[in-house]
Amino acid sequence: MNRKYELVYVVSPDATDAQVADLHSQVEQIAQRLGGTIDKTDNWGRRKLAYEIGPHKEGTYVLETIDGGGELMKEIDRRLKVSDLIIRHLVVRIDEDQTKIERTRTKRTDSVRRRRVARGLPPDRQPGEGQRSDMEDDDRFDLTEVER
Amino acid sequence: MNGKRGFGGGGGRGKAGGQGGQQGKDGQRRPMFRRRKVCKFCADKIDDINYKDTKLLMPFVPERAKILPRRISGTCALHQRKLRTAIMRARQLALIPYTAE
Repeated sequence: MNRKYELVYVVSPDATDAQVADLHSQVEQIAQRLGGTIDKTDNWGRRKLAYEIGPHKEGTYVLETIDGGGELMKEIDRRLKVSDLIIRHLVVRIDEDQTKIERTRTKRTDSVRRRRVARGLPPDRQPGEGQRSDMEDDDRFDLTEVER
Repeated sequence: MNGKRGFGGGGGRGKAGGQGGQQGKDGQRRPMFRRRKVCKFCADKIDDINYKDTKLLMPFVPERAKILPRRISGTCALHQRKLRTAIMRARQLALIPYTAE
């Protein structure tokens, strides 16, 4: 009964690299203890915050993809809330969305291929093949042209 | 005459877009032409509206940082809903502002 979660946390800009690494290992330890694994870690580095959070104007963003159960995420969430170094964090479940996205994507490519075959064309688009969407591009939705 | 009036109307709206020539052409056909709005996500086949993708979300939160309504952006109901959750998540992480300062 394993689910996939995404965890993003914003670490205070005062924290050193070692402290950020320490936080990561803490999360990893909790994950291991409660029978989960970290699939991927991505440090986005220092970014400007869109708004000030307390005294902070910047923060170090870290993204972790975690495989585990709900109890594990609850524990991680609790620990991150307590931590002083972390200014914001967000836990999102992603496995359901991912399968949904995958399904729509395959459905679309399948239907495109089927229609192309029905028209007597090879199933994949040939390079240099002119399709209407390329020419109509500028006539499409663009946000500069809003009507009020 | 009719065409000329259409031209003028197009110019008025051109303030926002500034594509004068194209609007003139449409104006001749129908004076009260309204550009058909297309859902960006349907048109570009973007399945995944992700909160991490600030570049994708930013056009939907103009100056005041409010979410652009469907009636203006033309986004379809399904994608607007997804867009909304994505924007709200991004706001929590301070990737997108709640308000303009």
